Amino acid sequence: MEKIQLCCAKCGFVVEEYTANELAEIPRKVKRYEYLLKKSSICPSCLASGRLKELRATEQADVAGPKVQVSASTPAPVGHEEHADSPTPMMDAISQGSWPSHAAELKKTRYPLQMYEQALQKRATQWGYGGYVSLPGVATGVLVRSSARPDITKGSNFVRIMDPCGNFFKTDGMRKLCDIADKYAYGLLHLLSTGGDLEMLGIPTENLKPAVDEIVQLGFDVGSTGDDFRTSEECIGPAKCDLPLYDTLGFRAAWYKRFLDDVQYPRFPHKVKCKFSGCPNDCVRGGQKADIFVCGVFRDLPVIDQSNVKTWVENGGDIGTVCTRCPGGCLNWDPKTGLSIDGDSCLRCMYCINKIPGVRPGGDRGVAILVGGKLRGKYGPMLAKVVVPFMKAVPPDYKEVFDMIEKITEVYDEHARKKERMGDFLLRIGPNEFFRLIGVPLSPRLFAQPRTNLYYHWEPEEIKDERVSATEPIQGPN
Amino acid sequence: MPGIGIPPLEANLPPIVKRNYGKWITHEHPRPGVIKHDSESGEACFTVRAGMPPNARISTQTLRTICDVADEFCEGYFRVTQRNSCEFVGVPENRIDQLIARLAQMGFPVGGTNRSLHNTVCCTGYLHCHLAATDPPAIMKAVSEMLMKEYTHDCLPAKLKISGSGCLNNCGESSTADIAIIGVHRDLPPIHEEKLKGCELPLVISVCPVGAIRPKGPGMIEIDPKRCIHCPACSVSCAAMAPIGSPIGDGVAIVVGGKAGNTGDGPAMAKVVVPYLPNNPPYWPEVTSAIRSIVDAWSANARKDERVGEWINRIGWEKFYQRTSLPLSFKIVDNYDARALEYAKANVRFTW
Repeated sequence: MEKIQLCCAKCGFVVEEYTANELAEIPRKVKRYEYLLKKSSICPSCLASGRLKELRATEQADVAGPKVQVSASTPAPVGHEEHADSPTPMMDAISQGSWPSHAAELKKTRYPLQMYEQALQKRATQWGYGGYVSLPGVATGVLVRSSARPDITKGSNFVRIMDPCGNFFKTDGMRKLCDIADKYAYGLLHLLSTGGDLEMLGIPTENLKPAVDEIVQLGFDVGSTGDDFRTSEECIGPAKCDLPLYDTLGFRAAWYKRFLDDVQYPRFPHKVKCKFSGCPNDCVRGGQKADIFVCGVFRDLPVIDQSNVKTWVENGGDIGTVCTRCPGGCLNWDPKTGLSIDGDSCLRCMYCINKIPGVRPGGDRGVAILVGGKLRGKYGPMLAKVVVPFMKAVPPDYKEVFDMIEKITEVYDEHARKKERMGDFLLRIGPNEFFRLIGVPLSPRLFAQPRTNLYYHWEPEEIKDERVSATEPIQGPN
Repeated sequence: MPGIGIPPLEANLPPIVKRNYGKWITHEHPRPGVIKHDSESGEACFTVRAGMPPNARISTQTLRTICDVADEFCEGYFRVTQRNSCEFVGVPENRIDQLIARLAQMGFPVGGTNRSLHNTVCCTGYLHCHLAATDPPAIMKAVSEMLMKEYTHDCLPAKLKISGSGCLNNCGESSTADIAIIGVHRDLPPIHEEKLKGCELPLVISVCPVGAIRPKGPGMIEIDPKRCIHCPACSVSCAAMAPIGSPIGDGVAIVVGGKAGNTGDGPAMAKVVVPYLPNNPPYWPEVTSAIRSIVDAWSANARKDERVGEWINRIGWEKFYQRTSLPLSFKIVDNYDARALEYAKANVRFTW
């Protein structure tokens, strides 16, 4: 079996591997292979930048991986005994009270307590510069953090584990994860980071590879660091909610099948976060946090089960508040005829559906795609903007939606500057140019409001003679 | 070796979810901390939601006890919510009291559903970050402690979400929350000349939002102190410009009115109301009392189902500052980019 490997020209780190069959049969792989071969990138192992080298191997001979070269720092083993008994008055204060305390949790682990205690006392963090590193075969998922207090600890690595669908955990898997954390790390987990990962803190450098291997053997995978697709997040969706307009869990699983390469190998100008909400309630806050946000929407009016609504009102349901707080002002309750909706001003915002048990979303369902949400970047927090108002999400492979996501990332990859988030890119080139590059059809749903100035540009080819011919008589206004 | 992706969809779903996947028709909140979902098959699923330590930082020792509880009450599955609560899904109705008592014994309060304070979300702060200007986990612990009643009772006009980030990078998603704190630096970033060789200088110059960093001779840069907005963008890109901040300069800003859902006034980012408060560990009294005054003013004056941002939209900022007695500052009006004039008022629709 012939294998084609793409590796770093300098250190020989194998970035990607394909079988000859894959390159002969799968167009997506070919595209990716050609893309990586053409693009100048930074080697995740030795950090040399340049083009990748192609290597053909006929056997499954293991190319010996290069030694790990940590760029930012070389962390030390976990725990430092001499500080174990030092007093921690600040942490003791935080440990008190009826709310569960993180300081009390830290004390049950091998976390170097003085790092936190000293930070609280001095009102300044005691950690030093950090960054992403790679191991042979593990391009993303590992982070290092150096220490500004080498007398307490020399640093601490951690790995990001992509969380399972719906953030549901089976206890036996979780216990095994705890075993790994106890064996290799501080015994401290960050159960859900705001990016949607599970983080295992405090793994010494020499243990990183075995820890990652054991995590992978357990059925979890690491990733989500660097300028790639970060872990996607989905709302709880059909697993435990009555409102989702598409199968968010299935969508995310399919997304990983299609985009796993890009999740685990950094190649974009900056990180790209994808979030999937089942309905406009947006429980994952994708409209604010996600570079690419896929939101379930419906086009027809909410469906009303009049008898159900009536029962709810009779049992004390507050129909008055719901009618007055409807943002479109389109709900009307009449005890005789029941609830009615004025179709012209209904915004499909989900408010009545959330509050009244007898009102359900309509049947004409699909997804909208929004881009450019972020909380920081160059120009601060920005809400995501609509690019596709409606698109059918067809399981199992959601081809149409994923093709659009791929199209958006291609445009972003090609035109954005380095370390420029999608939202900043959108602001720099302007929405009309972005829509043109992606090639979406014109729709009034793409705009919040038309512009107030007339400072637009015409290309010469856009100018056509639309005057009435001089030979024809001009029709007067009678 | 990685490359396997996330676990298969069915692998971690509890049996009751698998049986009723996509078949739920309605939900209700029978009591604080408990949600009931009804399936079209007639089956009801009770979920008990418990608060976790700030930042979802949990020791394996505690996590194993949570696993034991999940084994005992809901067939060996639990889940973590977007707001870092721990959910026990599919608890038999007659055992809910027993589970709540058990969780109380372990020190986990049950609540955070419907019109109450939902669990706080924050970044790691001093725990494990080199950029933090403050320690959100400790502040969130103090805030949760202060708002314990609001967490365990449905006593607010609408849901209330409180978040915390240690710096302008906003990892604790502060701008999405009703009320949030963000750590702010007030010092210039350092330039450690000996480390500049390892930095990509064009990148460092280009990431600065205000163009305050400029080249100064070969391989050297300088900062325009008048322009710097003390965001950590350069400190993130370049080890020579880290760490930013000092014990005297660092502090906390308060933002209000973020919201994700499309109901009400639609999604909005939070707005800065207090630009700086000092860091005073371990309880941050200035910060907690400012949050208390916002929560009190909102819960006393807002209408039903009106989130903090929507309440402010209705009554206006004049009344907001009057009701909360927060100090005003010219710093809350933006002057940093081309959109700056949007923040000034362009009409005379005052409330007095």
